[in-house]
Amino acid sequence: MKNKITIRLSELIDAGILSSDKAQEIQLFYTKGQDQSQNRLFVIFGVLGAILVGLGIILILAHNWDELSRITKTIIAFIPLLLGQGFCAFSLSKKADSQAWKEASAAFLFFAVGACISLISQIYNIPGNLSSFVLTWMLLCLPLVYIMRSSIVSLMYLIGITYYTCETGYWNVVDPLEPYLFWALLIIVLPHYHYLYKNRPNSNFMVFHNWLIPLSVTIVLGTIADRSDEIMFVAYLSLLGLFYLIGYLPFFKNKRRISNGYPIIGSLGTVGILLFLSFEWFWDELETKDISFASPEFFVSVIISIAASALLFWKIKNIRENKVMPMEVMFILFIPIFFIGLGAPVLATILINLLVFTLGVLTVWQGAKENHLGILNYGLLIITALVICRFFDTNISFVLRGILFLIIGFGFFFTNYWMLQKRKGLVVNGER
Amino acid sequence: MNYKKLSVAAFMLTCLAQLYVPGKMILDREDVLKTGIEYKFRTEPVDPNDPFRGKYIVLGFQDNTFEVPANSEIDDRSTVYLQFENDAEGFAQIKDVMLSAPPHDDFLMTTVLYSTTTMKTGKKKLNIYYPFDRYYMEEYKAPQAEETYREANRDTSSVTYALVNIKNGEAVLKDVVINEESIKDIVEGRMKNEK
Repeated sequence: MKNKITIRLSELIDAGILSSDKAQEIQLFYTKGQDQSQNRLFVIFGVLGAILVGLGIILILAHNWDELSRITKTIIAFIPLLLGQGFCAFSLSKKADSQAWKEASAAFLFFAVGACISLISQIYNIPGNLSSFVLTWMLLCLPLVYIMRSSIVSLMYLIGITYYTCETGYWNVVDPLEPYLFWALLIIVLPHYHYLYKNRPNSNFMVFHNWLIPLSVTIVLGTIADRSDEIMFVAYLSLLGLFYLIGYLPFFKNKRRISNGYPIIGSLGTVGILLFLSFEWFWDELETKDISFASPEFFVSVIISIAASALLFWKIKNIRENKVMPMEVMFILFIPIFFIGLGAPVLATILINLLVFTLGVLTVWQGAKENHLGILNYGLLIITALVICRFFDTNISFVLRGILFLIIGFGFFFTNYWMLQKRKGLVVNGER
Repeated sequence: MNYKKLSVAAFMLTCLAQLYVPGKMILDREDVLKTGIEYKFRTEPVDPNDPFRGKYIVLGFQDNTFEVPANSEIDDRSTVYLQFENDAEGFAQIKDVMLSAPPHDDFLMTTVLYSTTTMKTGKKKLNIYYPFDRYYMEEYKAPQAEETYREANRDTSSVTYALVNIKNGEAVLKDVVINEESIKDIVEGRMKNEK
C-alpha cells in the first residue's frame, strides 16, 4: 500500500512541479525518519519488556520456595544472571547494530545481578547492609554502560548511586566521608553522557540524562553539610545558578523546553530557596550560629560559586546575542547578602525580599519583551508566592492583605490581556 | 587490540565479576556452615511496632550487651570482634569484646550499636548488633512464623533460640528453634491443622 507522501509526490511529478530525482530524495528523507522513529519504539518496548520480565522472574524467585533445598535455590538464583549474560553476549556478537537488543539485554542483566545477590542473601539469611548492597550492584553493572553502550543502565546506575549516597549521607550515616564517593561514581559515568551528547544529542536517553544528572547532584549536594550547614545555601544557589546557565548553552538552543532539565531545576530551585530565605527567622537563627569558614561546606560553596561565575562570564563574553537574564545573577547577588546576614539579620531579610520582588518584576518584563506568556506568568507567580510568604510572618491587616491580592489578581488579568491584545495586533499587522 | 576485542574481554571480565561476588558469598557461608562453631542465641520479643516486614521474621537477642571499663576505646559504631562461650544452660554469651581479631577463627565481627554508662558500676555498657537478625521464610509462612515467634517469646515457659554458626568473623543463621522444634516445622504443622 502506498503511503500518503508517495501519493502526493507522484501527483507533484505528474503536474510537472517536481523532478523525479528530487521526489526520490524527499521520499528517502521521510523513509529514514520513519525508520528512526520505529527504532525508537523498538528500544522503548524492548527495554520495558526486559525490565518487566526481569522483575517478574525476581518476584517469583523471591517467594522463597521452602520445598526446594538450599542448593537448588542457589542454582535457581543464578539462572536469571546467566540468562542475562547470555542475552548480552548474543547482542554483542550477533546484534551489535541493534540499539534495542543491546539496551533490552543490558536492562535485564542489570536486574538479574541485583536479584542474584539479594536472593543469595535471602537463602543464607544475611541481613546485609543496604548501602553496600546497592554499591556492589551498581559497580558490577557499571561496565555494561560502556560495553553495551547502554543508556538505560546508565540511568539506573545514576538512580542507584543517588540512593546509595542518600543512604550513607542522610539516612544511615556511619562514616561521614562515605558520601563523598558519589562524586567519583558520578565522574565514571559522565563519559557516557558525553558520548550521548556527541552521537545522539536528540535521543530520549539524552533528555532523561539532562534531567537525572542535575536532579541527582541537587539531591546529593546536601550530604556535604556538616556543622556549618547554613553555608550550604550559598552552595545550593550557586549550583542552581550553574544549572540555569548550563541550560542556556548553545547546545540546548532550539531544543524543546521539556527536554532540558537544567534551567527548570535551576530556576524553580533558585526561587524556592530564595522564598524560603525571605523569612526572618532563618536570619535570626543564622546570627546566633557559629559559622566556620574552615569547613567542607565553605570550600564546596567557593568551588561551585567560582565555576558558576566562570560560566557566566564566559557566556557574557562569547554569546553576545544572549543578554544576561535576571535568574542567572541571583547566586552572585546572594553571596554578599549571606555575609550581611551573619551580622545584620533584618537588613538581609529586607534585601532577600527585594531580590525576589525584583526577580519577579524582571521576569514579567522579560516575558513581555519576548512576547512569552509562560515567562510573564512565571514572574507574576514569583511575586504572588512572595506576597503569600509575607502573610505568614508579618502583621498586615486583613484589609491590606485583601488589597494586595486584588492588585496581583488584576495584575494577572491585565498583563495577560495586554499580551494577548499585543499578539492579536501583531497578527493583524502581519496580515496587512 | 581493536575495540571489538577489547569490549569482548571487558565483557567477559564483567561477567566473571558478576558471578564471583554472589559465588564468594555462597562459598564463605557454606564454609561457616560446614566448619564453623555452632552457638545457640537466646531470643527476646521484638518491638511490636516493628512487625513483619516482607518475607522474614526479625529476631531480637537477650545477651547482646557487654560491660567494658569506662575509659575503653570501644565506642558507638566501633567495629568489634566478639568471642562467645556457653553458659550453664548451653546458650551463647559474650566472653570478650576486642578491637582487633583474635589469632583463632572462633570469633564474630560486628559493630557496637550504642553504649550507655551503668550507674552502679560506672562501667560502659555496649549494646552490640548481631548480624543474624533476619530469618527468611516462604512468603505465605512468614506472617504465621512471626506470630508464632512472638507468642513463644511472650510465653516465659517456652525456650526460643537462634541456631547460628560462627567462623572467622562471619555468622550464618541456620534455624530459629522454639522448644526444640524448628519454627518452619511448627508453622507447617499449624497451617496443616488450619486446613
